Amino acid sequence: MSLNKNNLTLYFFLMLLTGPFQLVHAQKDADTLSMQNLGEVLVTATRTKRQLSALPLPAQIITKQQIDNINSIRLSNLLAEQTGLITVPDFGGGEGLQMQGLDAQYSLILIDGVPLVGRSAGTLDLNRISVGNIKQIEVVKGASSSLYGSEAIAGVVNIITETPKQGLNGGLDFRQSSFNTSDLSVNLSHKNKKLALSGFLNRLSSNGYDLNNSSETNTVEPFQNYTLNTKIIYDFTDKTKLNASLRYFTQEQDLVASEELKGESSINEWNTLVKIDHEYNDKWASTMEFYATNYQTEEFLNENNGATFSNAFFNQYMIRPELRSTFKPNDKHTFIGGMGLTHEKLDRTSFNTTPVFNAPYVYVQWDTNLLSKTNLIVGARYDNHNAYASQFSPKAALRYELNEAIALKGSVGYGFKAPDFRQLYFDFSNSTVGYTVLGYNVVGSALTALEEQGQIANILVPASEFNGKLQAERSVNFNLGIDFDPTASLKIKLNLFRNNISNLIDTRVIANRTNGQNVFSYFNVAEVYTQGIEFNTTYKFNNYIKVSGGYQLLFAKDREAEAAFANGEVFARERPTSPAFQLSGNDYFGLFNRSRHMANLKLYYEWPEYKISSNLRIVYRSRYGIADTNGNGYLDNYDAFVEGNAIVNFALNKTLFKKYKVALGIDNLFNFTDAANIPNVPGRIYYVNMNFKL
Amino acid sequence: MKTMQLFSVFVLAMIFLSCSKDDESNLIAVESETVLNLQAPQTGGQGQPIGGPFTKFDFETGTVTTSDTEWDIAFRGTSIIVNGGASLGTIDEPQRTGDAAAYIADGTMASIEEVNTDLFVQDSENGYAIPSGSGNGWYVYNPAQFLVTPIPGKILVFRTRDGRYAKVEILSYYKDAPENPDVFVDEGRHYTFNYVYQPNANINSF
Repeated sequence: MSLNKNNLTLYFFLMLLTGPFQLVHAQKDADTLSMQNLGEVLVTATRTKRQLSALPLPAQIITKQQIDNINSIRLSNLLAEQTGLITVPDFGGGEGLQMQGLDAQYSLILIDGVPLVGRSAGTLDLNRISVGNIKQIEVVKGASSSLYGSEAIAGVVNIITETPKQGLNGGLDFRQSSFNTSDLSVNLSHKNKKLALSGFLNRLSSNGYDLNNSSETNTVEPFQNYTLNTKIIYDFTDKTKLNASLRYFTQEQDLVASEELKGESSINEWNTLVKIDHEYNDKWASTMEFYATNYQTEEFLNENNGATFSNAFFNQYMIRPELRSTFKPNDKHTFIGGMGLTHEKLDRTSFNTTPVFNAPYVYVQWDTNLLSKTNLIVGARYDNHNAYASQFSPKAALRYELNEAIALKGSVGYGFKAPDFRQLYFDFSNSTVGYTVLGYNVVGSALTALEEQGQIANILVPASEFNGKLQAERSVNFNLGIDFDPTASLKIKLNLFRNNISNLIDTRVIANRTNGQNVFSYFNVAEVYTQGIEFNTTYKFNNYIKVSGGYQLLFAKDREAEAAFANGEVFARERPTSPAFQLSGNDYFGLFNRSRHMANLKLYYEWPEYKISSNLRIVYRSRYGIADTNGNGYLDNYDAFVEGNAIVNFALNKTLFKKYKVALGIDNLFNFTDAANIPNVPGRIYYVNMNFKL
Repeated sequence: MKTMQLFSVFVLAMIFLSCSKDDESNLIAVESETVLNLQAPQTGGQGQPIGGPFTKFDFETGTVTTSDTEWDIAFRGTSIIVNGGASLGTIDEPQRTGDAAAYIADGTMASIEEVNTDLFVQDSENGYAIPSGSGNGWYVYNPAQFLVTPIPGKILVFRTRDGRYAKVEILSYYKDAPENPDVFVDEGRHYTFNYVYQPNANINSF
């Protein structure tokens, strides 16, 4: 028989057609086997339910049980304990997330699949999010713009809230800890055949803390906040389901600038999501989603005599309808496609306009087990936008099961982050120092205005340079990983990653003011890369003891800086006042706030006879720089560094009469603090946690 | 640190040696000096008009001077002006009577050996020869710690009022050049700098 080209094609075509039937049984067996021990399922990676263990992408699930074990109350301290994730303090007092060595503004934060907004300076404060009613947190690392569009450069964190279980359920959780911090959560839910209702209320208040021991201002001022979350799920038929949820968050916090200047800041945020799921038949299903959110902040400072010193506000709306459909012709293939529109509006201090963004988008994805032991995901998304160039973001991921113990994974994807409102429309002059920051789109008009007021000494970049459009920041992300489960009790995951970012937006001086200060605006300037290795392992010694460990090696560098060092254009001083000398390529440390090494080690001890569980967690990061201290504009080995540090946390949990739990714990056991460099670590925290389940 | 000291001594020795080799008889030796705590007060700032007399410096004598004409460069706050060109028009700016000029070279005191006369600019109505503002000239300003730090690798090359050359490396903006300046403790507007002055006319190397 001659296998010419046509025959080959025919052969493969027949393979394709008959293949599924031959392989169905094998697949089913494999599924049930793995379901037994690796049953964790997530939706973030593909927007369909997928087993974590069979996914071709680097992903992680933080379960309800893990959250309970460490008695966490906010998303920030929970994420800070995960491998490769660091919470970074923002100058506004919030904490953002660094993932795969990329800044907080490049990770997308979702609640039940829809984005949170309110990044007044690029960072979304993770302290806003209570973890009291969370089922699990899904973290997908690497560029994910092929499904999620803008901001999903470093990855996606999706917070999945609890759905009501059958019957009446409820719970009460109270935690009292150092700094007079108390956290109270009430959960109540009911579900019958068709209708499910749930309500969650959380109150958190704290006296804040002061690392500097100065009398006037605290590092974190006293605050109190409330989170309300309600959900209604109604099953019209077993094919059609309505899901409506509302989240409301409100916070009041003292604002103290000095002894003379005091005031208050407040946050009000709501998110509503209405979703209708419908299954047409075994193969087709659709989801229609309508999401609206509003994030508002207001703050003021008054002088001692009551006169207003300053006022500021920030008011952002987002509305997003989306329709997506899945098509599952058989067990081998899942197609998903979606289209939607993001409508955003921002009104804030230092804006002369109230800009509106409209961004329609469409995406498709094919998830297939075409060949046995091989999973392939191919997808792409197209984002149109009224204020910057449209974006096309493809992605492909492949997983191959070498044998029962070893699986290889790889993915390549594009990510992008659209220029935000601030980068386009900011018109801000600092009243005390006297510098000015202008958004890209308002440079022309604002510069002319300053010139007419006689405030410009000379222009370095003419306004005509700003006639084009500021480009979105783009990245290409590569992951190459191996999952190795040599025995049932030992799991090892290794992932190599690389992110090439281009068009990074940075500020540059565009003019000198007559007061000697500068006018800045935003440019697409830098090309940076981050690369490294992430390693995770868990080992179960026996039914009592489990250990998990994680490590990340990271290099995060600016290409222009690398070239400047290599060309000998960078100089430093041994001491601040000694003569300068030339630096070489090896002296370049990399981007600010990146630790080369991060590691964690967690010991879990279960004592089922006494219903006691205990754990000890150590989180380490090596030295890093937060500022260029020797004035050459780069972070080099002669700058002052923040010392490497380890934070040790301990928790002891005891269950009483099935329904009660009491926990004692110490976070930051050795009272590590660094007032000047790490304002988000408050020092040792003792806590008592009491929990009651209905 | 020790190596740096040795290195400086070595460099200085080389300078003297090379000069004494070249000059045979009638050339004057190149001067390499350090100036500590040159005070450069100013009034105003922080949104108010900047004023106050400049502190003038004469390379030939290596001292501060109050002369209206016998000066090469002058300091006020973070501003450095030259005795050549036109006034920017700020309050209390002295009359330029000489032909001084300046440019900023990238390198170290040791590596800047030749003067590139093409690069010289003078003060003008549009700006000083040594540009003002953070990152534009000789310093960067850290707004978090309110700290003025001289940029390493910036050598200020001057033509004096009478056409001779000098190179300057600014080391500190704070009194007594503290190791880790703290603006709440250490007094600013006190310059510490190294300079090399070529006293011979028409020689554009150091």
